[in-house]
Amino acid sequence: MIRWWPLYGLKRKLTEGKEYESRIRLRFTPEKIFNRSLFVYAIDVGSSNALNFEISALKSPQYNIHRFGIYFTDSPRHADVLLVLGQPVPLMIDPLMETINQLPKPFSIITIRDFPDRPGSVDFPELPNHIADLKGVPSPSEIIGLLLDVAKTKRKQS
Amino acid sequence: MKFLFIISLIFYALGAFFSLKPKVSYFLGFGGSVSAFITGCLALGHGTVFWKFSLLNHIMLSLAIDHLSAVFLIIASISWLALALYSVDYSKLYPQRRISLGFNLSLIGMLLVLTAQDAITMLIGWEIMTIFVFLMMQNPGKHFERSFRFLAFGELSTVCLLIGFAALFALTGSFSFDALKHGSPFILIMISLGFIIKMDIVPFHGWMRGIYGEIPDNTAALLSAPVTLMGVYGLERIIPLVPQNQAWDIIIILLGAFSAFWGGMQAAAADKIKLLPAYSTVENNGMILTTIGFYSLAQGFNTPILHYLSLFALATSIIIAISHTLAKTLLFMSVGHAKEAYDVHTIDEARGIWSGVGRIPAIGIVISALSFSAFPPLIGYAGEWMILETLFQSYRFPSTALAFFTALAGILIALAIGTISFAMIKIIGYNALGYDHGRKSRYIPHQLMHISEIGLEFLLLLGGIGLPLIIIITGFSKLLIGLLGVPAPLVLASGNPVFGVISPTFIGIIMLVLMIIPSFIFIKGKKKVRKVDSWNGGIRIAEGEFFSAPAYSQILEHILRKFYRTCEKRAKTHASIVIEDVLIEPSETVARVIRKLGEKVASVLMNGKISAYITYILILFITVFIIGMLVF
Amino acid sequence: MKILIGIVESGSEEYLFVLENGKPVLIKADDKLIGKFANYEILRQKPLKINDKPIKGPGVFKFRYGPVTSGILEAGCYHLYTYGEKILNATINISWKKRDLEQAMQQKSPEESLFMAERICSNFAMSHSLAFSRAVEMALDIRPSLLTHNWRTLFIESERIYNHLHVIQKLASSAAQKVLAAHLSALFEDALRLSEALTGSRYLMGVNHIGKLSPTPEVSIIQKIIDGYQELKERFTKLYKKSLSDNNYLDRLHSSGTLTQEQAQTFGLTGPSLRACGVKGELYDDSRHLIDLPVITKKEGDALARMEVRAEEIVNSCQYLIDHLRVSDSWPEEGDEKVQTENTGGTGYALVNSPSGALGYYVEIVNRKMKQVNIFTPSYPGMHAISQVLEGHIFTDFPFVVDSFGVHFADAAC
Repeated sequence: MIRWWPLYGLKRKLTEGKEYESRIRLRFTPEKIFNRSLFVYAIDVGSSNALNFEISALKSPQYNIHRFGIYFTDSPRHADVLLVLGQPVPLMIDPLMETINQLPKPFSIITIRDFPDRPGSVDFPELPNHIADLKGVPSPSEIIGLLLDVAKTKRKQS
Repeated sequence: MKFLFIISLIFYALGAFFSLKPKVSYFLGFGGSVSAFITGCLALGHGTVFWKFSLLNHIMLSLAIDHLSAVFLIIASISWLALALYSVDYSKLYPQRRISLGFNLSLIGMLLVLTAQDAITMLIGWEIMTIFVFLMMQNPGKHFERSFRFLAFGELSTVCLLIGFAALFALTGSFSFDALKHGSPFILIMISLGFIIKMDIVPFHGWMRGIYGEIPDNTAALLSAPVTLMGVYGLERIIPLVPQNQAWDIIIILLGAFSAFWGGMQAAAADKIKLLPAYSTVENNGMILTTIGFYSLAQGFNTPILHYLSLFALATSIIIAISHTLAKTLLFMSVGHAKEAYDVHTIDEARGIWSGVGRIPAIGIVISALSFSAFPPLIGYAGEWMILETLFQSYRFPSTALAFFTALAGILIALAIGTISFAMIKIIGYNALGYDHGRKSRYIPHQLMHISEIGLEFLLLLGGIGLPLIIIITGFSKLLIGLLGVPAPLVLASGNPVFGVISPTFIGIIMLVLMIIPSFIFIKGKKKVRKVDSWNGGIRIAEGEFFSAPAYSQILEHILRKFYRTCEKRAKTHASIVIEDVLIEPSETVARVIRKLGEKVASVLMNGKISAYITYILILFITVFIIGMLVF
Repeated sequence: MKILIGIVESGSEEYLFVLENGKPVLIKADDKLIGKFANYEILRQKPLKINDKPIKGPGVFKFRYGPVTSGILEAGCYHLYTYGEKILNATINISWKKRDLEQAMQQKSPEESLFMAERICSNFAMSHSLAFSRAVEMALDIRPSLLTHNWRTLFIESERIYNHLHVIQKLASSAAQKVLAAHLSALFEDALRLSEALTGSRYLMGVNHIGKLSPTPEVSIIQKIIDGYQELKERFTKLYKKSLSDNNYLDRLHSSGTLTQEQAQTFGLTGPSLRACGVKGELYDDSRHLIDLPVITKKEGDALARMEVRAEEIVNSCQYLIDHLRVSDSWPEEGDEKVQTENTGGTGYALVNSPSGALGYYVEIVNRKMKQVNIFTPSYPGMHAISQVLEGHIFTDFPFVVDSFGVHFADAAC
């Protein structure tokens, strides 16, 4: 039997009207063209999975990031921002550089290092347009705040 | 005109004579074909009798050209001259004498078939064509038995024609085509069967599966396009003359439709680069057969609506024949060009022709394949629209049974068009425009190849846009109207009263306008383009990771597994999908029985005892003698 | 019932780390014993390329999914051999996320190693942290208090809830049940926030220490947490019931990735994947003074059964948390615990019921430094099971098979 899921979905409003402030300072001013339309591609280069789960959580209705024009893409070729998750494993450097090579210009790169001094890890090579480097596991609202900074979009949307 | 005809024959004969020098030989063949083409063009206006000869007292042999012959001569000669030109370069790869000899002599055979006005001349031409095409494909030692299968089917066709014409002679005392109007259903069936076999209609296509991959491409193109066209010509020549037989018409329609469906289906699953066009021939000829049957069926009714419909069906058959002959010649030439440059056999191995071999063969594949997949405004689009329109109007038959069977044929044809598009997308996507993955092609001389490919590419494009002109030339100007502001001869109407209309010319103009403006804007505002590797998970795609051509077809092979007899073979480290063409089974069985029988006979007769051999000769002699006595 | 969890090499001896009737034991290996465990060879060789058996044939190609994909997100790679639709063989390459943390922990203090253990696979942070700290406590002869013990049990359940919700949300999303997936996603975020309220960390990191815990939540907050779990439970139950009447959803999961009991035991599976095959009694009982959790089992062994086991466990775990949080203020802070120890070395091992199965640690400590650490994660046998059951499925079944096992590359390649 086909359920009336849309009706069920409409019954409850889950989006929160919170204000997302960012505490992270960007290294340079991003391009203006991302305003209200920011496509993000996330790549895991050796994270502990907490960041991956935070990306999952970002997609939940509470944050409803689409209202800011922020979308996660399935291919780096459609992305404006590359979100690099984790402190890199040596093997993942080549795939990371290839992913960056596939990004259309202009693009920005944000790195989040959840375990900065992990033994056996390597440091990032010189990354182009490296707009921000975070340490630890930021909360979803911090990530949204950062993305809004990059997109130069209003902080609060109803 | 007679002079030009003789010039053609002389050119071909000289071509055969100089067969040791293939380049010269093919150039002579080209000259002969040009001359044949001009002959055809001149004969469009008025026919001519070339030659009359009295064999015995009451047996007249004659060679003449009329409008129908002229139309088919033009179609065939375009294919011949393109092939002759192509073969000049191609002969570097296959310099064997038998190919150039066979090429020129088989053209003589076809020329005779197209101009014959009586059974005996036609049979002579028919046999010359069959024998010399066989000579071209015969490569001693290699696929020896497979080429014999072609010969067996060719001879079967001749035998059918022989029986049909013998019966005609027995009934009317004449071998002339004019006598056919006094023919019987038996004669109709035998003669049309003879032509149908030549058109590779299912189940008479059993020989092609093994042989097409092995023979040179010019031979394949000749076999697939002009030779099968002779079958079409034969049918169109004979069927209007012999008294109509409704049951046979229905059988022809259904056989053609089923053949189209089967050919399309097998083409979609083909993995050899030359098997796909070969099966597409089965599909196209099936469609032509259906329209010829429809024409004959509709002509039996004397209402104006059905008369118009029968005329439309006849026009359809000729348009499809034109589109098939030109597009198939081009497809085989382009595929052959690429296949030889890569020196491979399968669709998977011959990828990326655009970048790996050259733009012109790639465009050749794209245009011919698009024409087969009914892409407007190419001529194939007109042909396939016309056949569907014809069959949509099956409700106009007064009898429910007729309407039912023709509608059934319509369903099969529609499926065929769908599956053939599926197959053509495969050859376009993988071979013409796919990635070459760094494959290197070897150099082959290609200037003349390119010229003939470009020529046919333009003809296919112009053939669609200039469809009204073709319709007028082929003598169907009645079918052209003007409608909704499109001026008079540009609209082709499928029924009277109007049922459906089409104007490839108009579509062509609109497409040009719509394409030119966007391309202009695109080129003007072109941004910097950066080329990167295909995105595949962050690592460069490796050999063995490409989506293979059999994988493309697998979903169809799975859905239609009852038809394909799809069977999965799995070992520990090896897996494959095997499909079958079940309809070649009957001919395979016959071949097996004959082989067994031959071995038995050989062991009984040719056992080294001279007495047994002499007995055999004696028995054979007596049998022939008795038959001769009985006949005369 | 005995399940081989891992193989420990200590000096020149080889020991089998076995889960026997719900308790971890370390048995010296001998040929007779080895013969009893079908997964011995797998654990012995520990290949990073799982089920590496390339298939060749006309039209067969390798569809590589990874190491960078948005579908899996994690750095790992599936090599699917196919001729179009059907998966002929699946090889899983986990080396892309191999961080060699077992080696990295050597010569580190237990506290430093605990920090690393939490960051092996952070969605199982509490399971890793707890298994490690219990192994160290055993080695150093530390007995944590009852309060610590009970709270740890609650934290594990909290971790189970959000992980299970994540798995079910992914399944619903793959089955194109967008409304269901969105609501489950909201519940998942709520569960993470409840974990944060409970411990101060969304992933329960930095709470557990060797022999003790960080301060537990105030009584005033506890009621809010209880209400949160109560609401979560109600909303989830409603959604789950509704989803079970949706054939579109169930058809996608039904008979996908079916495992038999024998197969599951061959790979040494534990956790929901094993319980979905109808095996009871592997659950490691560590809730000494608390009410026992009911064990959920299903018979079918397919993706649907694994989803059902997880769903029912979510409901049970919520109830478990609600019941125990209410009485948490009555737990005695003092008891027979022994938090300080004179020991500077020893050997210990422990197992924890992580959300995806039994997670084990074996440690050897010398001079308060780790000499050897062996980590046995549920994702590794899970990956082996996935690579086997994927065979014969078509591509559309891939996410259902993979997601229903709830395994992670970070966990498998630690």
